[in-house]
Amino acid sequence: MANFNIDSKKARTYDAIVIGSGISGGWSAKELTEKGLKTLVLERGRDVQHIKDYPTTNMMPWEFEHRERLPKEITDANPIASRCYNFKESSAHFFAKDNEHPYIQEKPFDWIRGYQVGGKSLLWARQTQRWSKYDFEGPSRDKFAVEWPIGYDDIAPWYSHVEKFAGITGNKDGLDTLPDGEFLTPHELNCVEKYFKESVSKQYKDRHIIIGRAAHITDPQQIHLDQGRAKCQHRTMCERGCPFGGYFSSNSSTIPWAMKTGNMTLRPHSVVHSIIYDDKKQKASGVRVIDSNTKEMMEFYADIIFLNAAAINSNLVLLNSTSSRFPNGLGNDSGVLGKYIAFHNYRATVSAEYEGFLDSTEEGRRPNGGYIPRFRNVYKQETDFLRGYAAGFGSDRETYNDRSGLGESLKAGLLKTQYGNWSVGSHMMGETIPKESNYVALDKTQKDPFGMPMLKINVDYDDNDEKMIKDYIEQVSEMFTKAGFKNIRANDNHRNPGNDIHEMGGVRMGKDPKTSMLNKFNQLHACKNVFVTDGACMTSTSTQNPSLTYMALTARAADHAVKEMKAKNL
Amino acid sequence: MERRVALKSMAMAVGAMAGLPAWASGWSKSTLEKGTLLSADQSKILTGMVETIIPKTDTPGAGELGVGGFVQKMVTDCYDSKAQASLKSGISNLDEQSIQRFGKSFADAGKDQRMQLLQDIDKSSDASQKAFLGMVKNLTIQGYMSSEYVMTNLTHYEMIPARYHGCVPVTKG
Ligand SMILES: Cc1cc2nc3c(=O)[nH]c(=O)nc-3n(C[C@H](O)[C@H](O)[C@H](O)COP(=O)(O)OP(=O)(O)OC[C@H]3O[C@@H](n4cnc5c(N)ncnc54)[C@H](O)[C@@H]3O)c2cc1C
Ligand code: SF4
Repeated sequence: MANFNIDSKKARTYDAIVIGSGISGGWSAKELTEKGLKTLVLERGRDVQHIKDYPTTNMMPWEFEHRERLPKEITDANPIASRCYNFKESSAHFFAKDNEHPYIQEKPFDWIRGYQVGGKSLLWARQTQRWSKYDFEGPSRDKFAVEWPIGYDDIAPWYSHVEKFAGITGNKDGLDTLPDGEFLTPHELNCVEKYFKESVSKQYKDRHIIIGRAAHITDPQQIHLDQGRAKCQHRTMCERGCPFGGYFSSNSSTIPWAMKTGNMTLRPHSVVHSIIYDDKKQKASGVRVIDSNTKEMMEFYADIIFLNAAAINSNLVLLNSTSSRFPNGLGNDSGVLGKYIAFHNYRATVSAEYEGFLDSTEEGRRPNGGYIPRFRNVYKQETDFLRGYAAGFGSDRETYNDRSGLGESLKAGLLKTQYGNWSVGSHMMGETIPKESNYVALDKTQKDPFGMPMLKINVDYDDNDEKMIKDYIEQVSEMFTKAGFKNIRANDNHRNPGNDIHEMGGVRMGKDPKTSMLNKFNQLHACKNVFVTDGACMTSTSTQNPSLTYMALTARAADHAVKEMKAKNL
Repeated sequence: MERRVALKSMAMAVGAMAGLPAWASGWSKSTLEKGTLLSADQSKILTGMVETIIPKTDTPGAGELGVGGFVQKMVTDCYDSKAQASLKSGISNLDEQSIQRFGKSFADAGKDQRMQLLQDIDKSSDASQKAFLGMVKNLTIQGYMSSEYVMTNLTHYEMIPARYHGCVPVTKG
């Protein structure tokens, strides 16, 4: 490593360092810079600036030379990314490529990553459901993981805080299993979805069908206009980056906002290698970074560090941050670092048809769908598996064109759209149980192209998941049958863990430093000026899409960090 | 007001399209450099074939809309070597049939003669020729339906609907 003089060290010293610029890192950057901290945001990927760097966003369907399919050369080189439904010609440039970013699969695990400024916030499906008190209380009640150190009331104001800024559409449904938030005008359920909602509420007292809650601006408020964002135009091409800023991404929202404070320095192409622990001060003093262009190693310094590299990469950075005080990874006195990785289970789907409402159809496009909040094992244990599942639900009017024949008759058939039945479909979103045997670890010898130890992933489904899949299929099929849907088909697609892109844990929060890594404000128990607020911190996973909770936890932790800094406790 | 903000960002977005950054075009660079699968003669036959499948009427047919090139591009870039071989051998078989029956290449055969040849493949028991026709037909339909001409003039594609209504009466039929 080069010898830096004092001035150079000063130039590389900030109040705060944020590692990663995705959904959670964007929020760290916004909150810390707004509170006046000179903040360095380190991002391993390239810069992606709102609108300017969305090369496909205004392309017409016929301008994609393969009409959204990817050349075989690319799918062959990226078998993992290719299994993500959203990896296609218009969005592939926002996915990390398998062959450039290898890892070791001790068991099959589809690790889907977005390595650029904005991380996966450019690609996400934007579903944003709050957790309920039952989700936070689950582990202590069922004893399937350690207790959460916080409950719903601790985080509720922070959900409100982030919802107002990000812009969340939703309906106030008044359900205790899925608390309402600060919603913009809801999207509409279509006639079959509404019909199903009524059918279900007549037949079951504790099951509900609602419109999804999603990070779209349906009626812009001043705070959204101030960000330079506009009303969502229902293009449903969000994964290309939205020129209107109609959906929330770090690129359209938090990162430019932080930049405007004048307090943020953004450094792309900076792969964080490890966090530096200062033995004398007994706290972290900075980070080591590998410049991905030059492969040069350099150091940056700060009083507080927010680790937001996305769950598994945050585990990697901590595991790689060794010192004489922490030989097994920073803050890892308990030995639980890298363990208790959990995820969501999206394996099963149920589809069907409905022969009603044949004189009706939909019009326009909706970047959202219906949602069935969790109804299993909420108030008491009622099945032979732990926890439960939520589900997506949606219906479309089927259309088809006669493709038979050749020549003029074929042409006429193609241009005459005919209506079929309504098709209905649902997919499960199951909670998996955090287990010690689901872990990530560093390989002792092999390095990746950036000089980081290769990460090994060892994560799998278990018997609880299989039982849950069976129950989901039975229950949804029953609800469909009662609604008079026909031709009900259930499917278990046996996808690999990871493909749901909701991996969590490894640096879990908890009350007891002997069994957890982080305290109730996401600080490492053993190194208080390091905060981990992405999915790595999750003690359990619940059934909701997780990112809204990462945002709320991040804003809450940043608020605490600045208070503690001012009180000279860090 | 909102509309103005939206239009402004659109304009900015269009401006930004002028030069694609290297990382974005990198995806297709290697495939663009690749040679084409078919010879010039074979390409002509393919164009005749897609035009027979979806012919010119009072609107352009698939040949005129460049769908032959699309079919070839898809098979070259996105399909495996088996499908590529099937496209090549299918085309030469089709041409042989044409010469045998009508004394001229498929490229020079008349409209009805071409149609007869394709219909015969459709009815025949030759599984590999049928698979060839099926692949070309599917890709022709895809290329035609997603062509600029059809999406703009016939199916009226909307890039930016700016609305969703969950229940409207079926009108077109
Ligand atoms: C197709 C798809 C659909 C999804 N749908 C939903 C949904 O509907 N709802 C939902 O809640 N979630 C959804 N998600 C998941 C959501 O995107 C993630 O939960 C969220 O982005 C996680 O935020 P994060 O900040 O932890 O990580 P990211 O947003 O991934 O950001 C992490 C950043 O850290 C950078 N980084 C990593 N390692 C280093 C390092 N060593 N040094 C420097 N930088 C580093 C990465 O390059 C990246 O930019 C979806 C994801 C995908 C891909
Ligand atoms: S649906 Fe809305 S957010 Fe998505 S691309 Fe369209 S306008 Fe943008």
